[in-house]
Amino acid sequence: MWLKFKASVIKESLLLLRDKAGLAMLFIMPMALILIMSLLQESTLKKLEERNTPVLVINNDHDSLGAHIVAGLNETEFFELHQTIDGKPLNVQQLKKLVTNGKYRVGIVIGEGASNALRNKIKYEIQQQFPPEEGALFSPPPDPDKPLPKIDVYFDPITQSAFKQAVMSALNEFFYAVEAKMVMEIYASMMNDIIGIELKQMADFKNMIDLTEKTSVGKEEKVIIPKPAQHNVPAWTIFAMFFIVIPLAGNIIKERESGMSLRLRTLPGSNLSVILGKAGVYFVVGMLQAASMLLLGMYILPLFGMAALTVGPGLPALMIITIAISLAATGYGILIGTVSTTQEQSSIFGSISVVILAALGGIWVPIFMMTETMVKISKLSPLNWGLNAYYDIFLRNEPVSGILHYALYLLAFALSCILAAWFYNRYKNSR
Amino acid sequence: MASTPIIEIRQLTKRYHQSDEPAVKKLDLKIGKGEIFGLLGPNGAGKTTTISILCSQINADEGDIFVDGKNLAADSVQIKKIIGVVPQEIALYQKLTAYENLRFFGNMYGLKGEDLKERIMSRAAAFGLEQKLHRKVNTFSGGMKRRVNLVAGILHRPRILILDEPTVGIDVQSKNVIIDYLKQLNEKEETTIVYTSHLMEEAERFCTHIAILDMGKIVTEGKPEELISGYPSCNNLEDIFLLLTGRSLRD
Repeated sequence: MWLKFKASVIKESLLLLRDKAGLAMLFIMPMALILIMSLLQESTLKKLEERNTPVLVINNDHDSLGAHIVAGLNETEFFELHQTIDGKPLNVQQLKKLVTNGKYRVGIVIGEGASNALRNKIKYEIQQQFPPEEGALFSPPPDPDKPLPKIDVYFDPITQSAFKQAVMSALNEFFYAVEAKMVMEIYASMMNDIIGIELKQMADFKNMIDLTEKTSVGKEEKVIIPKPAQHNVPAWTIFAMFFIVIPLAGNIIKERESGMSLRLRTLPGSNLSVILGKAGVYFVVGMLQAASMLLLGMYILPLFGMAALTVGPGLPALMIITIAISLAATGYGILIGTVSTTQEQSSIFGSISVVILAALGGIWVPIFMMTETMVKISKLSPLNWGLNAYYDIFLRNEPVSGILHYALYLLAFALSCILAAWFYNRYKNSR
Repeated sequence: MASTPIIEIRQLTKRYHQSDEPAVKKLDLKIGKGEIFGLLGPNGAGKTTTISILCSQINADEGDIFVDGKNLAADSVQIKKIIGVVPQEIALYQKLTAYENLRFFGNMYGLKGEDLKERIMSRAAAFGLEQKLHRKVNTFSGGMKRRVNLVAGILHRPRILILDEPTVGIDVQSKNVIIDYLKQLNEKEETTIVYTSHLMEEAERFCTHIAILDMGKIVTEGKPEELISGYPSCNNLEDIFLLLTGRSLRD
């Protein structure tokens, strides 16, 4: 048994080492994938955090709301305001054209009389707070039918929704501050009228709350800023590990097509040691793939200006889950190789099924962005179990006990695949 | 059949899932110890099916096979140890060298170390392969590949050697080397050889006993010279073959 296993391991290792294209696919392609995806995500995030985004502004208000917005936008590093083009004031048509053709990514038009409309609205709301018998608080009284202050924001059509959301959030922040300031000004004016005391103007309505981003990790609570590497590297590592299905299934089919598997069946003793030898080599390849990709995250990504992947204290958990993922991928490869009749069939079915399992598993689209039904379906993907376990290790510092259930799911998946392949083979041979 | 049977096939039947007619129908056959037994027949006659069942590659639907007195269905592990199989396909790992392939098959039969090395070297020398043992099989000619394919099946010195068309598609020189070596193996090591072929002349010269199969049944069997003398209108085995199996195409 041991001699047959050893012979099978040596044979598979030699075949793999002599298949340069296969090796490149197993190691270089996944590493390139991680590098490219991390660089892409990094550049997208940088775009979102980009300073001095050029913004066109037309302030038709010429009053406090417009002035506050322009001053606020000027204060932040996020935007670089342009109110003129070639020294001449902008009109709305020009602004729309410049934004639509992508010369500017954002255009803001503050409508005429916006301040007055806002004051009217605030006064109306204050008036509603007092009982009707108090009579009119303001002269002239606020007009309930007056339109709301109008501010239009135009975006370059190719702008990503994440960037739009960031800009809209920033603008909303100014609007709330301006609204609050105006409310206070109106109340202050009312106080002056009622009790004759002139209140001093409040300097700032910003930074009144200490808002700090924190992530609770296990029992500790500390400020953690998750880096793209912590998300990207684990996700793409699992994806690449499952791509071992293609060479492994191809190897099984090649052996069958060459008549080798029939010849192996004529040899004394069980073929289990031969299959275990093959599975063992591909399992080790999966482990080496994982190690190379994690090392890339730790040492190569920083060379490209990205934050390094940090493993933290979860090394035993990382080892256990990586072993389970590699076994699951190997088992799946054996099943695909057994049920496929040609190499073309196995490579198409193998790759598409891995992409589907990856998509369902949250590798391509984060689970939190999925619908409830899709979240339920995603839990059926072995890639999802691996990904969740990796996130638990890399982002939540979970110990072995925290990821053990995922490891067991993956092992059960591996075992199910191997059993299914065995039964299928038996059924096929009996026909 | 004078010698003690080493293989006895009783009422063997095999029907494939996609076929209406059985490939082998209640086949009875005895192969004597030390014989070179030729199993001949047109395409689809049931030769490969019979051999495949004998090698445990596929299962029979009905019937029994006894090898050296043991029932194949019950003792396949023990029986496989005394059987060597040389398939029609070049069932070798093309990216491994001849030596690596032979070492792999030797290990599969439980051979190792110096003993295995010595067996590989001596068998390779007998087939003119000793200088090319460390070259990858995919660089070999068809004849060389077929010789390595044969050596892989005889490293463990089997008592029964099953050969499915061992000389198909190779030159005369390679064919002669293979046939001469198999004769030596049969004489010196008393290996029983079960052989299939479409080459009637080669079978007539090489085999000590011949059975012609058609439609899954034996249509005639005996020593080549007895068969030829039994059909006065026939001059050779090919004439008998055509007489018994007809001239129409079978596939």
